[in-house]
Amino acid sequence: MRISKVKTITKREYLARLKSKGFWISTIALPVLMAAWAVVPGLMVANTRAGQTLAVVDLTGRVAKPLAEQLDEWSKRSTDLLGGGQPVSFELEIMPPGEDADTLRQRLDRQVLDGEIDAWIWIDEDLLAEDRVEYHSESVSNFITQEVLGSAVSRVVRAIRLEEAGYDADVVAELSRSVDLETIRLSEEGSEAETGIGGFALAFGLFMILYMTTLIYGQQVMHGVLEEKSSRVVEVILAAVQPVELLAGKLLGICLAGLTQLAIWIGTLVLLTAPGFMTLFAFMPAGVELPTLAPSLVIHFFLFFLLGYFFYATFYAMIGSAFNNSQDAQQMASIGVIFVVAPWIFFLPVLNDPDSTVSVVTSLIPVFTPFLMLLRIAIKTPPAWQIALGYLLTALLCAAMIWLCARIYRVGILMYGKKPSLREIVRWIRYA
Amino acid sequence: MTPSLELKSVCKAYGNFVAVDNVSLVVEPGSIFGLLGPNGAGKTTTLRMIMDIIAPDSGEVLLYGRSRQPGDTETVGYLPEERGLYRKMTVVDHLAYFAELHGMRRAESLPKIETWLGRVELASWARRRVEELSKGMQQKIQLIGTVLHEPDLLILDEPFSGLDPINQILFKDLLEEYKSGSRAVILSTHIMEQAEKLCDQICLISRGQSVLSGDLSTIKREFGLNSYRLVARGDLDRLSLVPGITKVLPSNGGVRLLLEPEAKGSAVLGEIAQILDVHEFHSEEPELEEIFIRVVKDAHL
Repeated sequence: MRISKVKTITKREYLARLKSKGFWISTIALPVLMAAWAVVPGLMVANTRAGQTLAVVDLTGRVAKPLAEQLDEWSKRSTDLLGGGQPVSFELEIMPPGEDADTLRQRLDRQVLDGEIDAWIWIDEDLLAEDRVEYHSESVSNFITQEVLGSAVSRVVRAIRLEEAGYDADVVAELSRSVDLETIRLSEEGSEAETGIGGFALAFGLFMILYMTTLIYGQQVMHGVLEEKSSRVVEVILAAVQPVELLAGKLLGICLAGLTQLAIWIGTLVLLTAPGFMTLFAFMPAGVELPTLAPSLVIHFFLFFLLGYFFYATFYAMIGSAFNNSQDAQQMASIGVIFVVAPWIFFLPVLNDPDSTVSVVTSLIPVFTPFLMLLRIAIKTPPAWQIALGYLLTALLCAAMIWLCARIYRVGILMYGKKPSLREIVRWIRYA
Repeated sequence: MTPSLELKSVCKAYGNFVAVDNVSLVVEPGSIFGLLGPNGAGKTTTLRMIMDIIAPDSGEVLLYGRSRQPGDTETVGYLPEERGLYRKMTVVDHLAYFAELHGMRRAESLPKIETWLGRVELASWARRRVEELSKGMQQKIQLIGTVLHEPDLLILDEPFSGLDPINQILFKDLLEEYKSGSRAVILSTHIMEQAEKLCDQICLISRGQSVLSGDLSTIKREFGLNSYRLVARGDLDRLSLVPGITKVLPSNGGVRLLLEPEAKGSAVLGEIAQILDVHEFHSEEPELEEIFIRVVKDAHL
């Protein structure tokens, strides 16, 4: 292999990708989508749910007032938590119970449908004995409102029951204070306070990004090989270089494009999560802490990207070289989907218990190692020997794949015409 | 002088199918060599073996009198039959890329690219993307890509396919000009007319075998039929009564007369002059196409 030729090809492949619109669109789109995924629901809750009007029919006569107090307190707390912005509040309209029950229900339904009130709550003595309260609304999928209401009603009712059992109201209030869970992640590099949701988001985000990039860039190799074959440019190039030089240049060039995109993303993430950086811009709600990205995790991430990429890219290069059109190639590539979907099957089990036998074994299967081992490292640092073994096995698999790919590629790229059978492909491998 | 290229008893089979069977040929510097034959005769396989894209089962390929070396890509230019370009690249980038693959630095190749684009009247297209070019324009770009690094041996597989007549003439002129001194051109074609106008030496292959090779003018002389061209006024039907004439064939504006092998042209002319008003009468060389058909028929009878 002549390094100068490989360098020339690598440069072309790299620049061809960096010059494409798709590269920059996806570079910008992914963080925007992820940010939207993380931030928008919160914003929507904060903005659209501000000031809900609820009608309460309290047949017990004891729940409505303390419920209003509870909800006021909650909206104050949530305002603090979200750092300003529109306060989330509930306007309670307590209905006099004198009326006939059916007429009242019909009137309230009408008011909801006419948009005069957002929902109404029916608190019945009998129902309460069965631990139930009715909630009537046009939208029944508004989880946050329901969750808040549910827990507020529970608290009130609990307090009433305790008072009935003879406890003093103040003592009850004092003893039933809620507790906030502060999550602290332990690792060899020292403990760090982290919010649970932040740690999960980080593990999930890294897993997702790694998964998407290895797959997308692996497939780019397939499309690149197919493009050269179908545009008939390949033989022109082979006038100057050997097939293995062309393959090496293509794999490296696309790999560099992937690394560039990852570097942009991870660099941005590191910058955003750097202590103090976010407070420069006041757009992040105070109180929500982003987890910091440990340097070792970043290194693991890039190494696993390289291994994952070379596995998938060589796999796809083989398919691209053996077939002549995307349809045939896609059919074959769908076999690869098995490897691709499997990490997702194990995602939750590993996330739940990163040290279980299932987690250890699956994260040591070379095809899954890049994804599942990274996930384990992101959640809880596994023993060093497991990480080392994972790297070793995956590197061996990659080396075998590169060898196999080179042998199939050099024959396949010049084969036009009918779809080769598996037996023919095996024969290509054995050619001198 | 060392030949630019020499093939010694080269064979290549795919399973039971023999694509190239014991082909030998010599390409001298300063000449254009035509590898001729019908579709599927084994021309492309032969050229691919010269390019080391596929390995011969047996036989030898010698470049400049020695076996092929990796550095030879810098002194050989190859235009394959299956050829294409990267659609999204600009013309200039693409040509500079080809040149770089052949060992030229970009700065070195840019002025040459400009000159060549000017010669094929595509100078204003330099910054356009390949996909905006017509098929014929792309062909020109491909030819430039093959000659930019000024190879000593230029190998062209069906270089004229898909070209309009004007560009065919342009290509022919460029090739005529290109062969000089130490440079040689080898091209394959199944269109005999093109080979006839361009080639100094030829090798005719059919079903993988070389059935005729050598200097084109010598071959033509050897295959000379006793044939004459006649333009005359009068009743041409009476020609068939003239002794010594075996066949009368219409041929643009006149007739072609095939004589008996021993018949003398002057004697026949004397006879004709008595019955017709003769305007033109001269001996004619056979067309390569005829030679080709005869040789191929003989070879496979």
